[in-house]
Amino acid sequence: MIKTLQASLPKVKHRIQNTILLFLGILLIGVVLLSASLGAYHIPLESVVGVLSSKLGLAWGSYTEPQSQVLLNIRFPRILMGILIGGGLGLAGAALQGLFRNPLVEPGLIGVSSGGAFFAVVFIVFGAGLTALSPLFSLIGLPLFAFLGGLLVTLLVYNISSHSGKTDISVLILAGVAINALMGALIGLVLFYADDAALRNFTFWSLGDLGGSNWSKLGIATTLIIPALAMIMRLFPQLNAMALGEREAYHMGVNVQYVKYVLFLSSALIVGTAVSISGTIGFVGLVVPHLIRLGFGADHRLVLPGSFLLGAMLLSTADLFARNLVRPAELPIGIITALLGAPFFIYLIVNFKKVKY
Amino acid sequence: MTDKPIIGEVNIKLEPGKFTVIIGPNGAGKSTLFKILSGDISCSKGEVLYNGKSVNSYSSQQLARIRAVMPQHSSVSFPFSAWEVVELGTLNAPQEFDQKEIIEVMKKLQIWYLRDRSYNLLSGGEKQRVQLGRVLIQIWKKQAFPRYLLLDEPISSMDVSLQHLVLDLLNELKTRNIGVLSVLHDLSLVGNYADEVIMMKDGNVSFQGNVSEVFTSYNLEFLFGYPIQVRKFNDTPGLLVHSLPLHHINHRLSQVQ
Repeated sequence: MIKTLQASLPKVKHRIQNTILLFLGILLIGVVLLSASLGAYHIPLESVVGVLSSKLGLAWGSYTEPQSQVLLNIRFPRILMGILIGGGLGLAGAALQGLFRNPLVEPGLIGVSSGGAFFAVVFIVFGAGLTALSPLFSLIGLPLFAFLGGLLVTLLVYNISSHSGKTDISVLILAGVAINALMGALIGLVLFYADDAALRNFTFWSLGDLGGSNWSKLGIATTLIIPALAMIMRLFPQLNAMALGEREAYHMGVNVQYVKYVLFLSSALIVGTAVSISGTIGFVGLVVPHLIRLGFGADHRLVLPGSFLLGAMLLSTADLFARNLVRPAELPIGIITALLGAPFFIYLIVNFKKVKY
Repeated sequence: MTDKPIIGEVNIKLEPGKFTVIIGPNGAGKSTLFKILSGDISCSKGEVLYNGKSVNSYSSQQLARIRAVMPQHSSVSFPFSAWEVVELGTLNAPQEFDQKEIIEVMKKLQIWYLRDRSYNLLSGGEKQRVQLGRVLIQIWKKQAFPRYLLLDEPISSMDVSLQHLVLDLLNELKTRNIGVLSVLHDLSLVGNYADEVIMMKDGNVSFQGNVSEVFTSYNLEFLFGYPIQVRKFNDTPGLLVHSLPLHHINHRLSQVQ
């Protein structure tokens, strides 16, 4: 499969790639329908289709009012949030791996997750004063802090590694590692002063959670993530060229510094938003681009949108498990992604060593 | 680090339709000069002009239309196929190319049969031909303005027949109003294929000019600090370039005495 794809002439290749994306999209829709149906409150698929079609002005099935309420107010925003965040993490992972020319990179490396977590823990432990100041802060304080923290720390990493308008990728990786360690220490320091409630609060936040998604949060996330996604997707030819090296990409006509800047900031925006809404969800950004490359080759024309679709599918599935494994309670989604993802990933790298790099 | 410049005073002109070769011992500054010419690094004094305009005044996109560059080593960080790597050469103007040109270039370089192989699993000589294919496709389409092809040791890992194949191809390319510049090490290939030679030593150009004028035993011996002989090959225009191991030369000398 991968061989035919890689050796096909462009037109044929693009057609195969589009078919693969269509297939992934259909799978995603399947997961969405399943996810909408299953949960503490079971809603038959027929009713799910009914609610969806009635919104489109059709009448394809019957449903009851409570079913419609649960779907519209709770499940759909949550599922869409899962798609947005999972897809965003997958795509950001693919973009950063391409930018760093390293398949081991995951979005956390540029400091956005640890920076977000640090600012989040500061808010959880010391934010009582702010929440007392205005009730608004109890609502959006945590995501706001996490988002700002993620972006600030990412900018710090970027500035450390940039010199007179050029960014040194190896310095960027080293700076990211160092800043992550620093943030880890600072988080520890803050937790040292935390009481038990705050400690538990932070622990669960850091394991990730899609609960509490609603339409207004989804609106904010969409406004932040979708433009960043579009910016990254447009750069697929440049990312292909970067796989040969920055110098080679420059020789081939790529404005390397611009590409670095856009990819870096867009990824930070996506991951920062994701962290602020759902905590740190690991593994999606690392594994998903790998799976796509293993299956369908390294061409970013497919890897970028493919990573979005597969990331969305992975996180939606993980959320499905998170909501259903210990009904009516919920597991943190970060546990599921790593628990399912890690063994599967190991299985893949052991069995597909031949196609390795 | 010292303040001593890697390259001293250099004044060279690359002409379209000519094959210019840079030779010189290791560390002579060939690759640095190459990087300055290709726009990778800028020199502290002086400037590089492409078709009369400073290299810095071009955007990377504009520059890619008038010159293609093949560095000494290129790794590919993900499992791209040979075809995909060659196809990258069309990146700057994908609408101008169709697959016919890519197939043509790959067949000429005898890498068509490698098209579905993963680049990273190819041998050194195969990788070089794939990279060369990528670079050639970038300037393959005929254009009204002069263009340039810069190659840093492009055939170092190839076997002898492939080396001749590639150099023949480069000669063919000259006729498309393209100036070819290459760093090469094999002196007998240089003597037989190059039009102009730039001889570098210790960061300076020691000799430069037409092969028939500067490519002499005397100059080469000076350049490399080693006995080298350049001879006509029978009645052909071809040149034979010899360098024998020192113990053979000593043996010969002792016999003469």
